[in-house]
Amino acid sequence: MLTKFLDTVRQRITRPLQYYQDICVRCGACIDACHFYVASGNPAHIPAYRMMLVKKLLQRGGNGRKGLLSWYRETDLADERTVSELRQALWECTGCRRCSVFCPFDLDTALLVNMGRYALGQEGMGMEMVAEIGNAEVSKGEIIDALKEFYVDQIRELEGRIREEWGVPDLRIPVDEPARVLYVPVVGEHAIIPLAKIFHAAKESWSLSMFTATNHSFFVGDIEKAKQAAHWIVQEARRLGAQVIAYAECGHATRTLRNFWDHWFGDEIAGIQRVSVVQLVASYLQEGRIRVREGAFDVPMTYHDPCNLGRNAGIFEEPRMMIRAVATDFRELSPNRELNWCCGGGGGLIAEPDMFEVRMKAGRPKVEQIQRTGARWVVTTCENCKTQLADLSDRYGLGVEVRGAVDLIADALVV
Amino acid sequence: MTTLAFLFYYITPYIAVVVFFGGLAYRVYLWWQKRPAPAHLSLFPRPQNRLGRLADALVDMFTLKGLLRVNPLLWAGGFIMHLGLLFVLVGHIRAFTDFYFLWKLLNWGKEQQHAFSAIAGTIAGTLFTIPLFYLLARRLSGAVKWLSVPEDFFVLFLLIGIALTGFHMRLLRTVEVEELHRFFAGLASFRWQPVPESTGPAFIWHFALVQLLMVYFPFGKLSHIAGSVLSKMVARS
Ligand code: HEM
Ligand code: SF4
Ligand code: SF4
Repeated sequence: MLTKFLDTVRQRITRPLQYYQDICVRCGACIDACHFYVASGNPAHIPAYRMMLVKKLLQRGGNGRKGLLSWYRETDLADERTVSELRQALWECTGCRRCSVFCPFDLDTALLVNMGRYALGQEGMGMEMVAEIGNAEVSKGEIIDALKEFYVDQIRELEGRIREEWGVPDLRIPVDEPARVLYVPVVGEHAIIPLAKIFHAAKESWSLSMFTATNHSFFVGDIEKAKQAAHWIVQEARRLGAQVIAYAECGHATRTLRNFWDHWFGDEIAGIQRVSVVQLVASYLQEGRIRVREGAFDVPMTYHDPCNLGRNAGIFEEPRMMIRAVATDFRELSPNRELNWCCGGGGGLIAEPDMFEVRMKAGRPKVEQIQRTGARWVVTTCENCKTQLADLSDRYGLGVEVRGAVDLIADALVV
Repeated sequence: MTTLAFLFYYITPYIAVVVFFGGLAYRVYLWWQKRPAPAHLSLFPRPQNRLGRLADALVDMFTLKGLLRVNPLLWAGGFIMHLGLLFVLVGHIRAFTDFYFLWKLLNWGKEQQHAFSAIAGTIAGTLFTIPLFYLLARRLSGAVKWLSVPEDFFVLFLLIGIALTGFHMRLLRTVEVEELHRFFAGLASFRWQPVPESTGPAFIWHFALVQLLMVYFPFGKLSHIAGSVLSKMVARS
């Protein structure tokens, strides 16, 4: 059992993963960091335990026997209990890296989980739904010419509606046109409408990408495919001569954009600035390129730092600046910024229906945190967090409304 | 002197030193055999420039400030234990040479040197030992027990054993430092001297456990002494 899993892991152990395994002192500082463990009390959810499971399996000799000093090394054979723990350890993790902040060595459990997921997939224990969406994102590039006409028609229709509703007849949504900014949305109009308004108000030279920022292959640890999917966007940006690639409010995509692209594309993206659209909109506000009604929303609101924008990409202050520009009553969650609790919906769990109950449970620390603020609106900057927070609000009767920071700005624009 | 005793006093100490340094070097070499990180593994907020990040990593390594923020109790246990260990190690320099410069500077005679060493050594030893018992107790209760494996207990008992045999020599006997000094200086310079006798059997145990620690060190979790720098740098890359 687990032969393919172990072979894949052996091939894919990188330098940091090797020393993480060797130096973890099992001090347990990471135990209280993980929302899964805090909500479930299941040892398989302890960050260091996830790593130990894999390490113990690796210590098994090639012949499947336990080998020397196995009682001392607690060498695991792949019995049923181990397999079931391994599944939980590798799939029931949002890759939030809160445990890394707690660990005195900053060990990155999420890096191990990501690699381990790919290996589990080789063993036929993957998240099929998520992997399928990932595959579709990869193959979309091959048929983009065929899709283009249909896509442009849809966008023209949307453009017409916004013009009418907003009363701005010269608003445009450029697609496949040379521009300074290539904006890459996520699926759905809600990711396009606010930006169409803001770019119009800022008189930005922009073009809407025909692709989406989301990258589901990343969730299942298939880095090769994740790279292929992202490459379509690199090609599009170069074709249009874009100087800036701006990703929609989306956590994992922003993380790949900022932390993986250098390694994936090297010189190919030299000179192209890569930002979250949150940073771009914040810069418009700061430079006075757009104006908003001060105190436009008289509602107590709080901000949820998405793990992937916050501790994993360093975008802490921009969204707060945007919220303060339009809110009368802004309340911080406690803890916040890099110590903020994960919403419990990341790591691809949102896209896997089987994971619904798991993520509802893992969201409990988040729910309590929101309740303590008494906020009516929860503002955030990640698509995943938005879905999860709305689901949590329903499940736990929070009665909060979930909004994007960019929507707030769009709704308070002065034109 | 029996052959076994001869090996123990004059041969295995060299083996222990070689295995300790060689083993750690081999550990790092094995790490370097692997491919580097496939991405920036940065955690934010982090200092803006490279120098700032290096400084931050080193400060965090020597103060564990990150741990202090999230788990003050564990920080106290871990930090005081390591600090005590550091002091104890510094004190053991006296086994090989002496703080001649310091004594001259303070204008201290033999009496004062010994009195100072006795007090400072006892304090350092206490700082090292008490937290070890706390760290042991943690492993037997609460969620940390899920994480604990035999190695964790082995290492803690080993360190406690070293500490207690050290205390035995310090508190229950009048050990002649000159004798120890002669023996270890002799080992270091390959001009062997007689085995110290004023120390009693505790010395044998102390010396044996330290050799065991040195031989074990590179092969288990204690290799964190080498990995912690790498890990902290990569989290700020
Ligand atoms: C620069 C050198 C070192 C650094 C940065 C370092 C750092 C750490 C950290 C962060 C921990 C985990 C948290 C804690 O328990 O406080 C730890 C645990 C530990 N360290 Fe070190 N350490 C160093 C050297 C050493 C040495 C030389 C030894 C022993 C001879 C040692 C023995 C231990 C032990 C036994 C633990 C585990 C405590 C437990 O069981 O919970 N460390 N170290
Ligand atoms: S905090 Fe770090 S070193 Fe301690 S048990 Fe967790 S992963 Fe291991
Ligand atoms: S990355 Fe997040 S979800 Fe995964 S083990 Fe760490 S704290 Fe838990």
